[in-house]
Amino acid sequence: MSGAGRIAAGALATAAAGPAIAALVPPGVLLSLLAQACIYAILALSVGVLARQNGMVSFGHAAMFGAGAYLAGIGLGAPGLLPAEAALPLAVLAVAAVCFGLGLIVVRVHGIAFAMLTLALGQACFEAANKARGVTGGADGLTVALPREIFGLPAATFQWAEGMFLIAWLAMVALAALAALLARSRFGLLTEAIRENEERARFLGYGTVLPRAAVFALSGGIAAAGGVLYVLYNGFVSPETVHWSVSGSALIMALLGGTRTVWGPLAGAAVYFLLREQLVEVTERWLGLLGILLVLVMVFLPDGLSGLPRRLRRQRGAEA
Amino acid sequence: MTIQILNGLVYGSLLLVLAAGLALIYGLRRVVNFGHGAFYMLGAYAGYTAAQAGGFWAGLAASAVVLALFGAVLDRLVFRALQDRDPLVTVIVTFGLLLVIEDAVQWIWGTEGRSMDAPALLAGSVALGGDAFPVYRLAVIAMAAGLTAALLAWLHRSRAGLFVRAASLDPAITAVQGVNTDAVAMLVTALGAALAGVSGVIAAPFLSLSPAMGGQILVDCFVVVVVGGLGSLGGAALAALLLGQVQVLGAVLLPDIAALIPFLTMAAVLLWRPTGLAGKRL
Amino acid sequence: MSAPALSARGLARHYGGVAALRGVDLDLVPGEIRGLIGPNGAGKSTLVDVLSGRAPGSGGSVRLFGQDITGLGPAARRHAGLARSFQRTSIFPALPVGAQLDLAARRVGATDAPRLLDELDLARLAAVPAEQTAYGDQRRLDLALALVGPPRVLLLDEPAAGLTAEESLALADRLRELARARGVTVLLVEHDMEVVFRICERITVLELGAILAEGTPQEIRRHPEVVRAYLGSAAA
Repeated sequence: MSGAGRIAAGALATAAAGPAIAALVPPGVLLSLLAQACIYAILALSVGVLARQNGMVSFGHAAMFGAGAYLAGIGLGAPGLLPAEAALPLAVLAVAAVCFGLGLIVVRVHGIAFAMLTLALGQACFEAANKARGVTGGADGLTVALPREIFGLPAATFQWAEGMFLIAWLAMVALAALAALLARSRFGLLTEAIRENEERARFLGYGTVLPRAAVFALSGGIAAAGGVLYVLYNGFVSPETVHWSVSGSALIMALLGGTRTVWGPLAGAAVYFLLREQLVEVTERWLGLLGILLVLVMVFLPDGLSGLPRRLRRQRGAEA
Repeated sequence: MTIQILNGLVYGSLLLVLAAGLALIYGLRRVVNFGHGAFYMLGAYAGYTAAQAGGFWAGLAASAVVLALFGAVLDRLVFRALQDRDPLVTVIVTFGLLLVIEDAVQWIWGTEGRSMDAPALLAGSVALGGDAFPVYRLAVIAMAAGLTAALLAWLHRSRAGLFVRAASLDPAITAVQGVNTDAVAMLVTALGAALAGVSGVIAAPFLSLSPAMGGQILVDCFVVVVVGGLGSLGGAALAALLLGQVQVLGAVLLPDIAALIPFLTMAAVLLWRPTGLAGKRL
Repeated sequence: MSAPALSARGLARHYGGVAALRGVDLDLVPGEIRGLIGPNGAGKSTLVDVLSGRAPGSGGSVRLFGQDITGLGPAARRHAGLARSFQRTSIFPALPVGAQLDLAARRVGATDAPRLLDELDLARLAAVPAEQTAYGDQRRLDLALALVGPPRVLLLDEPAAGLTAEESLALADRLRELARARGVTVLLVEHDMEVVFRICERITVLELGAILAEGTPQEIRRHPEVVRAYLGSAAA
């Protein structure tokens, strides 16, 4: 089977697992948690795409996530202006477009400087969300009433744990499949080459800013899609959604899972939420333990959990 | 207006002490410590506890000692072990430490805000142009100036300072000259952490203590070192004092966009010199 | 007379107050393999950097078959037909050898990537990430990335750096065959005199950022200034 065929088959199988999970898990708190986990997994996926294709570590992706949520919320709040079916995709496209423009500038900044810049820009968005009371509702947040139907589905579907879990699961699988297909395309290979050695790519005749900005836009668009689902499910968005701790959590999920593979951040999100659920039962010190886990993974498993199979294969290869 | 400018100078002085530590550690280890705000917060709490027993100055001293030890251990166990890895790995490790420290502080001291008294000697206020201004805030400016002067004297007059300056320029060549760069780096990381702790204690009497106090100031600190040029103390000093004015005057004159100015300045500087700060690629 | 393959006029480059290149004129005849030698710090790598667009010149002009490329960036120069390799191996460590050569070929519409893999003994490594190959393989990959196309003019900055004497000579012979068969004009910076004298028709000697001498290998061997400045008595 070709690589693209394998991705399609894997995506279909994973998508099909969604209803099975929904059926097996008792409805209620756990399913609601799973719905939230899928939404944040999409954010982690967007952070991972940027790290994998561009080699850029972002401490500010909550800004794109929050922007998607706010734009969708504002669009849904003005139903006379736009039907919801247009407002939601437009929110994603608008964030991607802004990220492309921003990307043309920020992709020239590398390494630690980029990490610092994203933290600062994320914080600027947090401030802006707090300050622009007229648009965002300021610190009180924005409460969003859904129209009766969106894409032919009753509004309740989006705010009911089982409904949102299925929607978010399918969206997560679809976006991951898209990212995986892109990663193995010519464009994906080119961005990896630029990540590995930008100067040599230029000497092979490639412009390097446009492809990197395109990846930044894609990553921003995926984060915004997560934000759109977030606002649909919660009917509410506030500056807390844009806070750097949200960016930090998404980055931790991506790094725990590993960014060498497209699916690593999804695995990382699963581990993150699983651990949190288990740990908060027994200790209040969950964040500290997460910090220790992050340090251990970065030191001993720099490719994250998804790098484990490859690592084991290599070790076996070395012993044989 | 004089009061506003003075308040800006107070915040700028605080940032200066904090950013000096960040710049020192960067100079030796080529790592930006994302945990620096957490060091500052930990220092404030450690000082708070010591001050309850022995007063403000005991708190200041205890915070410096505790954070210096913390920095030395961090350098020995983490920075030295990771020095051949991608610097981003070390940065993320310092981010993990931030989570651990914030959580540990919540564990030990709880989440409610605390306040700390200024030393009796510096309590009260003076009249400045008709307004009352707390003496302690003037003392903050003086303490920051004193610390900066001491740091500069140490860097430029002492043998250890010479090694530090040499090692920040080129660790490999300095090592070849027979300087134990690992020892120098450990000393400097300890010093940088101690400066963060000290600035936490200095801040405590006029900004209240909370586990979240490190987050906002970390970003301001990044703005300072980026605008001033990482590894350049003079540049950081200038940037810290400017940022202090922008924060305070901006909040009065341009309340809507003041909060954004520092970030935009930082972005502009990074784009102007994308390959790095102070000429070094990050 | 047809235009030179590569022609530099008055190329200069200053860092601060130091002049690394002080008015270099250079003409490469189409199809020739030109050696560029000189003591350490003579400005050889700087000359290649300015010719290839890696470093900006402080003055002067560069023409490729008559076309002025002075203001062009590295990518545009590659499209115009000018390629280069690097003294410190510059490849894409995590990408498979074959994939990166494909990437290089596709950009310039080349179809000779598979043949080049064969000719440079890289075919067996096509699916292996470059970082897992031997140093000598990586050097040949660096060369292949520049040679695919083929370009009209190729600047090689010490392609044999770090190789053993035996490997260097083998690479030199291979290089001569490949360049001849493709009609590529080559400017070769090389420390190893044996390599230069073996494959270059003409040699340019650079000293202190200026051209000291130019001629056939025989002329250069006998040139009194060159012998004094660089080759020393051992080579005379």
